[in-house]
Amino acid sequence: MTIEEGAKFVAAAYAIILAVLMLYYVLSARRVNTLKRDVQLLEQEVQRRQIGAGGAGGE
Amino acid sequence: MKQLVSAPVLFVGAGIFLVTGLLLAFLYAPIDASTMGYSQKIFFYHAPIAETALVAFGVAFVAAILYLRSQDPRWDRLGVVSVRLGLVFSLLVMATGMIWGKAAWGTWWDWEPRLTTFLLVCFLYVAYFVLRSVVEEEQRRATFAAVFSIIAFIDVPITFFATRFLPAGMHPTVITMGGTGMPGSMFVSFFISMIGMTLLLVALIRRDLAVEELKDRVADLKNSIGG
Amino acid sequence: MAILRKDLIRELRTREMIISMILFVLLAMVIFHYAFSVKEDADLTYFTGGMLWVTFIFAMLLGLNRSFAQEKDERCLDGLLLCPVDRVTIFLAKTAGNLVFLLIIQVVAVPVFTLFFVSRSYVGDLVPFLIVMLLADVGICALGTLLATISMNTRSRDLLLPIIFLPLIVPVLIAATGATTLIFAEGAGFGDLLARVLFLLGFDAVFLVAAYGTYDFAIGE
Repeated sequence: MTIEEGAKFVAAAYAIILAVLMLYYVLSARRVNTLKRDVQLLEQEVQRRQIGAGGAGGE
Repeated sequence: MKQLVSAPVLFVGAGIFLVTGLLLAFLYAPIDASTMGYSQKIFFYHAPIAETALVAFGVAFVAAILYLRSQDPRWDRLGVVSVRLGLVFSLLVMATGMIWGKAAWGTWWDWEPRLTTFLLVCFLYVAYFVLRSVVEEEQRRATFAAVFSIIAFIDVPITFFATRFLPAGMHPTVITMGGTGMPGSMFVSFFISMIGMTLLLVALIRRDLAVEELKDRVADLKNSIGG
Repeated sequence: MAILRKDLIRELRTREMIISMILFVLLAMVIFHYAFSVKEDADLTYFTGGMLWVTFIFAMLLGLNRSFAQEKDERCLDGLLLCPVDRVTIFLAKTAGNLVFLLIIQVVAVPVFTLFFVSRSYVGDLVPFLIVMLLADVGICALGTLLATISMNTRSRDLLLPIIFLPLIVPVLIAATGATTLIFAEGAGFGDLLARVLFLLGFDAVFLVAAYGTYDFAIGE
């Protein structure tokens, strides 16, 4: 097998590896960010309700 | 949160090692003199990924034992996360192994010990997720998954050994009892990629753990709002 | 011991399981015959080991599902768990019960398969053959009982068992089939079989210990 022939296989293998690893990296990073935002929003919501409930109780 | 802080450092470290390993593999290590020729370059990522997959399942195995001892859901989360990553790496091993097989032996598939073992590993750990999906109660799901994870990890080397009973295959035995049989420059490139892959695994495990924790947190908060 | 006796008595009384299993084995043989009759006078001796162990493993899957489905449906296991016996004792009794069941199947299947498929006599190698068979059986039953206990407690009982059992049992299948084929086709002496026999022995030991360590968790609260 010549180097040119071998290079095609090598390129394919590394392309697959890098594609999958980078995809996993990007997807997991996005999930962390989305979840962090969700937590933040939910925490705000909880806080808002607590204040609302506290105000209602005070009247 | 402490885990998230150190994550970028780990990712950058993994990246540096992996890129260095790759550069060394193509620029520094000699082209393999045996029949494999240039396609042997696949080996520089293929073998580290295989090693990393096994490390991931090893982590899952240890996590499973610790879970059974402590019933602490954090160990269960570690188990899930490592098995999932191990599975991703195993699929990469299979894919690159098949490409290598086509280049070096002329066939996509050969019933050869290592390839066959990894095929079974994939089946085993897909079954792990099937098992998890059919148990609803959380504690029971974690317990069963842990038991299965232990049994599966024990079974992997046994399977590998058993495949030696099959008629001989043609996978190159790179690491034998007598040494690695590699020129030093190849070994260095290979070793650096191995460190890189392992670091990447650790970084990804940590981040996935954070994902699972955040998920639980979201569920808790949703509950508290709903209730 | 009492659990084993209970299972056996129950089986002998109803006979449904044994009879359907024997039928299953015979049908498997017929199916294999038609599946492999690719040319006239094909000698299937080399394939008989494989056919036998495939049949045993699938018969075992059916048997395992049933033996635990009964327990679950009639809530016997809950009663068992209330008894002041070690969980490991339950495991051993269940394994022994499944072993007896598998042996009954084999007593029927081996002569029939031999009669129909094996072209040479292996009477001289009967002892090594029995050793291989027994060792492989122990491994199949120990692992099968542990996994059936888990799968019985899940939502999709009988669907899950093959998925978790088959990939784990492959090493036994490889070693047992190889040894059986050597005996049937080539009349290998004990020396040729030694590696496989030791391997099966090791497998049994490892998984008996592993099951011993984890059965408490598998059987649940």
